[in-house]
Amino acid sequence: MHPFGVPIGVWINAFLTLCILSFLYKDNPFFRFAESLFAGMSLGYYIGIVTENTLRPNLFRPLAQNFWGNVLLLIPMALGIMLYFRYIPSVAWLARIALAVYIGYYVGVYLMQKLHGDILFQSRDTIVSLRAGGVDTLWNIIVMVGVFSVLIYFYFSAEHKGALGKVSKLGIYFLMISFGASFGYTIMARISLLMGRFSFLVNTWLRPIISS
Amino acid sequence: MRRTLPLFLTFVVGMFPIFAFFVPHRAVSDLNQQLDTWLVIVAAFALPLGVVNLVGSNITKIKRKQKGWPYSIVLLAGLSVMAFYGIMGGEQGFHPKFQYMFVNMVSPLQATMFSLLAFYVASAAYRAFRARNIEATVLLAAAIIVMLGRIPFGDMLTGGRMTPLSEWIMTKPNAAAQRGIIIGAALGAASMQIRVILGIERTYLGKGQE
Amino acid sequence: MDIQKLLYIDRRIIYLLVAIGALIPIIRPIGLPVVPTAPVKGLFNKIDTLGPDDAVMISFDYGPSSEPELNPMAAAILRHLFIRKVRVLVVAIFPLGGVSMAIQQLERVSQEFDLQYGVDYVNLGYKDGGQAPMKAMGVSIHDVFPADVDGRPTDEMSLIQQVVNYDDIDVVISLATGVIGEWWANLINAQFGVDVAVGCTAVSAPKYYAYLRSGQMIGLLGGLKGASEYEKLLIDRYPEARELYGKPEEAKKSAITGMDVQSIVHVIIIAFIIFGNTMYFALRRSQRR
Repeated sequence: MHPFGVPIGVWINAFLTLCILSFLYKDNPFFRFAESLFAGMSLGYYIGIVTENTLRPNLFRPLAQNFWGNVLLLIPMALGIMLYFRYIPSVAWLARIALAVYIGYYVGVYLMQKLHGDILFQSRDTIVSLRAGGVDTLWNIIVMVGVFSVLIYFYFSAEHKGALGKVSKLGIYFLMISFGASFGYTIMARISLLMGRFSFLVNTWLRPIISS
Repeated sequence: MRRTLPLFLTFVVGMFPIFAFFVPHRAVSDLNQQLDTWLVIVAAFALPLGVVNLVGSNITKIKRKQKGWPYSIVLLAGLSVMAFYGIMGGEQGFHPKFQYMFVNMVSPLQATMFSLLAFYVASAAYRAFRARNIEATVLLAAAIIVMLGRIPFGDMLTGGRMTPLSEWIMTKPNAAAQRGIIIGAALGAASMQIRVILGIERTYLGKGQE
Repeated sequence: MDIQKLLYIDRRIIYLLVAIGALIPIIRPIGLPVVPTAPVKGLFNKIDTLGPDDAVMISFDYGPSSEPELNPMAAAILRHLFIRKVRVLVVAIFPLGGVSMAIQQLERVSQEFDLQYGVDYVNLGYKDGGQAPMKAMGVSIHDVFPADVDGRPTDEMSLIQQVVNYDDIDVVISLATGVIGEWWANLINAQFGVDVAVGCTAVSAPKYYAYLRSGQMIGLLGGLKGASEYEKLLIDRYPEARELYGKPEEAKKSAITGMDVQSIVHVIIIAFIIFGNTMYFALRRSQRR
């Protein structure tokens, strides 16, 4: 079906786009409809990808093809199902066991990720030799001072007075430059999204209608 | 046991990735790989957990005819149809209707929702972005330089100086500040994670466990 | 009094001006120049050294919310890799749309080249768990992805037989909307040593400069500007890319064209900021009197 030379999918796409954009004028039932549809379909999408791309290939199919060879997969499966026991009061405590494993694993992984991947690597590149030579030495000093002063700004265990206050004030300036840069970049990101939608409305939806 | 077992499991499972990081023995790494692949499955069960809550609260809303209940029907209908085709994929990958609905419905809805922010950010720039004091002026100046450095007009106006200046801001003072934030946040997160592993922080287990 | 009126103008007038500014270049593109920067060249030059014996993993870690910024990056990077005949493994770690974005972009770009699925490239699909599958791929990609996006067993594919884990991968490129790009740097690069590059939405770009500086990343494409720089490098270097981007339907989708809109709306917003501040200071001065 191609009303006015445009596939029906594009019409649906354009209608929903306009429903959301209508919020700019004021809140209205079309926006509310689209918003609810979005929330519902997003969750439906999760269920689809989880089933199709994780549970089927990594759990159901191995168990169906070679049950005893993959019998250990019943452990994560049981843990996964136990997470839902929280909705059944009599066995709700079992959900905590599954949650403990789930949280425990990610806490352990995150801990190494933060200590090793963030703190160690970032510090190592901050505390560098000042023998880089030329203007690079100056830039290294600026980065070192910046990192140090920002860390001092986030150090709340002592009152920011005297020398500590001055260094933390310097940290604020570094943060302000970074926030300013972030603001500039954020504007760019938001405009890109708007451009994407307008480009769809003009090039994919309206142009074919006009030319048909 | 109901109280201690979860705390014990958090400790053991939480310590394992740390232990495996420092002990590159084959047996340890095999076990670690097993744990990683298992967690892929557990996480798959965890992701739709929110669906149960949302479905429950929306059914209640419809039953009691609370304000805006027809939108709850829309939400549940969207969820059911999308989930139905999601599960119906079978052995040949996603059902064609699943990808079709994603492209023509989920995708424009999400993309347009976020595109509204372009208007708000422009309006905020006009109304709130004021050089009230030195800090705000520094922020404003950095923002304008970076914005000009990201568009061709900036270089046209300044004879090609804006791109290098904006890159300098990004790679030196900005990187320094972001690094400070990364290290600071990582220290905070790490101490919280140690508290969880050691069982000092228990709020994640829910009521009655703290 | 008039100044105050100007300072608090109806926000919808601002919305209208932004909308007009964005629409004009879409209807009639201007064609403004693009200058590539070092973070983008970092990734481009790396890929330019790779060939048919090498493999690159692209992780689609974004959804429709950042599609206009990251789709052009995905297309440009895939084209670069396919022109150089580098083998490509595509995965998705971001739940809301990552795998659908990967399907769309691969469908679009792979048909431009003479490629064999499972040999030259593969779409492994989405996997739950964030860090869990990312870490597990350090030992075996097949353990995490026993089947591809459409359920085909991967152990029969020569690409997966040859590319066992990160040791066989030259670069991991994450096209990321949120925090997942950081994980590739602070978890996968840190623990497995594989080169990582990130193409991110402009909002998160400032943070990645810290990882770029520390060497945890070899390249960074920040938002639409980053994508347009990559397209520019590609078009200048490869005649086949120039031909591809010369097609009207591809030109419309390109980041270089998108930068026209960026430029116009940026100028409008900068004008708003300057105008707003001028009014603010004028008002303060008149109030002091």
